[in-house]
Amino acid sequence: MPDDLRPAAPLAETSLLAQVGAPIEQARGLPNAHYTDPATIAAENRACLETTWAAIGVGAQVPEPGDAKPVSFLGQPLLLLRDDQGTLRVFYNICRHRGMILVEAPRRIEGAIRCPYHSWCYAKDGRLVATPHVGGPGQNAHPGIERKTLGLIEVPSHVWRDVVFVNLSGDAAPFEQTHAELIARWAEFDLPLHHGGSGSSFTLEVATNWKLAVENYCESYHLPWVHPGLNSYSRLEDHYHIEAPGRFSGQGTYVYRQLRGEDGTVFPDFEGLSAKWDEGAEYVALYPNVLLGVHRDHAYAIVLEPVAHDRTREHVHLYYPVPDTDPSLRARNAAQWKEVFIEDIGVVEGMQRGRAATGFDGGRFSPAMDGPTHCFHAWVAGRVAALEEAKG
Amino acid sequence: MNEAAIGVGHAGPRGALDAALLAAHGSKDRTALIGLYAEAADTADDPVARSFYLTHAYVFALEAGDALAGSLKARLVARGAETEDAP
Repeated sequence: MPDDLRPAAPLAETSLLAQVGAPIEQARGLPNAHYTDPATIAAENRACLETTWAAIGVGAQVPEPGDAKPVSFLGQPLLLLRDDQGTLRVFYNICRHRGMILVEAPRRIEGAIRCPYHSWCYAKDGRLVATPHVGGPGQNAHPGIERKTLGLIEVPSHVWRDVVFVNLSGDAAPFEQTHAELIARWAEFDLPLHHGGSGSSFTLEVATNWKLAVENYCESYHLPWVHPGLNSYSRLEDHYHIEAPGRFSGQGTYVYRQLRGEDGTVFPDFEGLSAKWDEGAEYVALYPNVLLGVHRDHAYAIVLEPVAHDRTREHVHLYYPVPDTDPSLRARNAAQWKEVFIEDIGVVEGMQRGRAATGFDGGRFSPAMDGPTHCFHAWVAGRVAALEEAKG
Repeated sequence: MNEAAIGVGHAGPRGALDAALLAAHGSKDRTALIGLYAEAADTADDPVARSFYLTHAYVFALEAGDALAGSLKARLVARGAETEDAP
């Protein structure tokens, strides 16, 4: 076997991560262990998903006061809960008494959440409001149980573009500060978003690590090969890279073409957009795990749910500038996007299976075409290395 | 408070109430539970049993967002079985 085809001796993890952050011409991708090894992935989760602002859902999943939706994220039982004033909060989905799960399935809370175990009750804003028999039969208070200190445990959360983000570690900088650059970049789209309804949401179960979905989404290099249908009007040269190291990356197009009904109907535009968006559109992976798209007449968010090292749920939600858009056009738009996202499944699953090859060295990046993907790899590697360094 | 005080196993009218309570629990009929536990409180002789049943009526009313929660709570507070701080 020629020497240049022989797998190199394994490098220490720190060296491998340093290679990821090298200039793109020399860089290699993340090592296999970041896709296959539970211990490596646990450390990476801490660095990339728990200590950042990770997406866990969208506000449209709890549209009305009292709506509650349990969510499992990295094994943590969480609860999206909208109070009577419309404020959406995220709590741990557990009773402060014996840690019982409070809400098993999405539902409307009419008055209070009653724990199914001993019936401690919580208001929709998380306050503990009843502790039946806590002082003995028929005695519902006890000096040792201070209700005001025993409300539901809230997880820092932030809603942007209807996406619900949480910071599990509780020590991240405020969301608006962390993501000021993309907020500013898309300031023109800082307008009300109207979810397209049940037909405008779908979930794809994908046998891949969540990072591979990000990596694929970031770049336009694959478009002519994986999405040949786009070639007819959206050629490779019609795209540009978007790279904000440490924050987000993706691609933009100069040739977005609106979907038209048979009678020429189009979706209405978001109001006040500049001419740039007449035929422009942008697709950004906001680190760590949400994929966003903006167009003159609709937007979408894909929340990546890391289920296992090799399983991801892609929760897709489509939004429009006004509440009442043409239902058949909405259905066509959802079907069109679904087809595109399904076309990507083969490659992200193939890359995951490929990570079982012990000789794979993380791969190389096209210096011309893979910048946004390398940007994401460098972010992951940098956060993992910083966490390791902090641990000493 | 013993079992007899909270009505378990009673025959006659009290037995009918117990059966209705079990049925309401079985069907998760909160409106019925609120009314039946309030009725159980009103018919209980033992003061602890009365607070016990009132508590259950109050908790189910609180869960359901039923307007009766306020008056049930007031009765519990008056009996020294609940504190004012809770809504």
